[in-house]
Amino acid sequence: MISIKNLHASIEDKQILKGINLEVKAGEVHAIMGPNGSGKSTLASVLAGNEDYDVTEGEVVFQGDDILELSAEERARLGIFLAFQYPVEIPGVTTTNFLKTALNQIRESRGEKPLDAVNFLKTMKEKMKLVEIDQALLSRSLNEGFSGGEKKRNEIFQMAMLEPKLSILDETDSGLDIDALRIVANGVNTLKSADNATIVVTHYQRLLDYIVPDFVHVVYNGKIVKSGDKNLALELEEKGYDWIKGEVAEAV
Amino acid sequence: MIKEESILLDKLKGTFKSQSGVQQEAWKMLEDIGLPTKKSEAYKFTQITSVLEKKLNLDFERESEFDKANQYKTEGSHLVIRNGVFSNAESTIEEGVIVESRDVTEGKHDPFSLLNTAFSSEEISIGVEKITAPIFIYHINSSGFTNPRVKVSADKNQEIDLVEKSYNSEGTFTNAYISFDMGANAKVTYSKIQAYNESSFAHETIFAQQKRDSRFSTNIFTFSGALVRNNITINLDDENCEGYMNGLYLLDGNSHVDNNTSVDHIKPNSYSNELYKGILDEKSTGVFNGKIYVRPVAQKTNAFQSNNNILLSDNATIHTKPQLEIWADDVKCSHGCTSGQLDEDAIFYLRSRGISEKNAKAMILTAFASEAIAHVPVQELKDEVSSLIEQKLL
Repeated sequence: MISIKNLHASIEDKQILKGINLEVKAGEVHAIMGPNGSGKSTLASVLAGNEDYDVTEGEVVFQGDDILELSAEERARLGIFLAFQYPVEIPGVTTTNFLKTALNQIRESRGEKPLDAVNFLKTMKEKMKLVEIDQALLSRSLNEGFSGGEKKRNEIFQMAMLEPKLSILDETDSGLDIDALRIVANGVNTLKSADNATIVVTHYQRLLDYIVPDFVHVVYNGKIVKSGDKNLALELEEKGYDWIKGEVAEAV
Repeated sequence: MIKEESILLDKLKGTFKSQSGVQQEAWKMLEDIGLPTKKSEAYKFTQITSVLEKKLNLDFERESEFDKANQYKTEGSHLVIRNGVFSNAESTIEEGVIVESRDVTEGKHDPFSLLNTAFSSEEISIGVEKITAPIFIYHINSSGFTNPRVKVSADKNQEIDLVEKSYNSEGTFTNAYISFDMGANAKVTYSKIQAYNESSFAHETIFAQQKRDSRFSTNIFTFSGALVRNNITINLDDENCEGYMNGLYLLDGNSHVDNNTSVDHIKPNSYSNELYKGILDEKSTGVFNGKIYVRPVAQKTNAFQSNNNILLSDNATIHTKPQLEIWADDVKCSHGCTSGQLDEDAIFYLRSRGISEKNAKAMILTAFASEAIAHVPVQELKDEVSSLIEQKLL
């Protein structure tokens, strides 16, 4: 589904990604772990098309398209979705109105007719159940005054509405209590299918108890330094990131 | 003090012919105080006198930009005023609304109010005998220099929703004056869209005098004009009055818009709230000055003000200045002004959901502006403002 080769990216002349290689196939869940400042959130932002970052080298091919030259909205229309670590509060724009615009612009780009109000509301009601989100919340300004948990649930709700091919969850577990974590993970698991893929970016193993990855990669200093299955996450939990740092230092 | 020579006043003097005592008196006072100079604090960022010295053309007539088909469809009274003269034949007036052309009576004493008093062709008075549908006024200003003058009276317990629209032709200078005399418990809203010819000049004075338990509000939306200056003064001259000023300026090109507003809490227990939003693109300039006076006896005053601006271009300018003068001690007053750029994180967030950059910006700006249009009482006007915003932003 997505193939990342030798990806280098920088922000304000500071090199963050220093050659990421990653291959994600349909139906797979990949976890990206790593200590703070390793570049794992940068990877998520770069894939979504955040223009704050300059890609200096490498290529990213998504379902056959080289996406590095594409804008954020073009990538979203192809089916890439980023669940933000810090969802932005936008006063005056309701979640409902925002999602309707987003969904219909995506549909338009695919040559589909816009969803009428009835069908949109019907779809919304279905997906709301998935993340146990309340109608009242969706009538309010986007994320404004939402609790941490509400913001993250809203991200997964948006994911459910937009039905992306590749979902990238950036530290979705941060700031969540255990109940919210369960709801969010449950939503992600329900949306999982043989046709889509998920990249879970996380600092802690905790989320991976609920969203079980097929592969775990450890990013350190802008590179994937270790890959394995779900047991790697458990090992990391036990030994801490110093273990990886030590291994990398030895290799050098 | 040596009076500065004024080319503009000399030029105007040659055309001043009125025999009316009120008008002659106004002209004399104007000659005494003079028009604002480069040093006048109140016109610091809007050098209207020197602009007019260069651009004012006293005697020409342009084609009118007004088309009867553009009138609002909402039921109510529709009044047409051509170059300051009420056109009864073109107007429709509902029962209970009294419109009259009369000799000019005294007005405010600042320079442009005096200029209007001196040069006005007639004073159009509007009153109501009962609560009616909205009153719409269409000003067609196609002569080089016009001084439309409207005086609205809302007697005790009366309610008026007034919507005004001016069609100012290219090259014209319109020096408008509108006043509101409000009785006890009267409620008046005054709403206006200013989408003027980009080579036209406008100075508008809006003056409200309020009595006990009355409520007055302005909703002014400015989209274009070479120079637009709004002087809004609300005198809360009694207890338990409410005064509201809502405004939006959404500018591009070389438009220059100056909102100079003042609310005077003269008596205790009154409330005022002012909210102005600005979006400035290209080489446009915005000026906002908000004065709040709280007199020594005006205890228990509540006065709030805010002015928020978004600059979309490096060449756009905003000068914003709150000015609070509070002589009473038991009051609640607050003010705040902000100027900033569009939030890039918010734009990326919307784009990452498939929304185009243009639409994302428009969504955020429309939301930003929406607070300022929330209080417009006439739906048709609200829709018009929304569509003008959309046109500008998309």
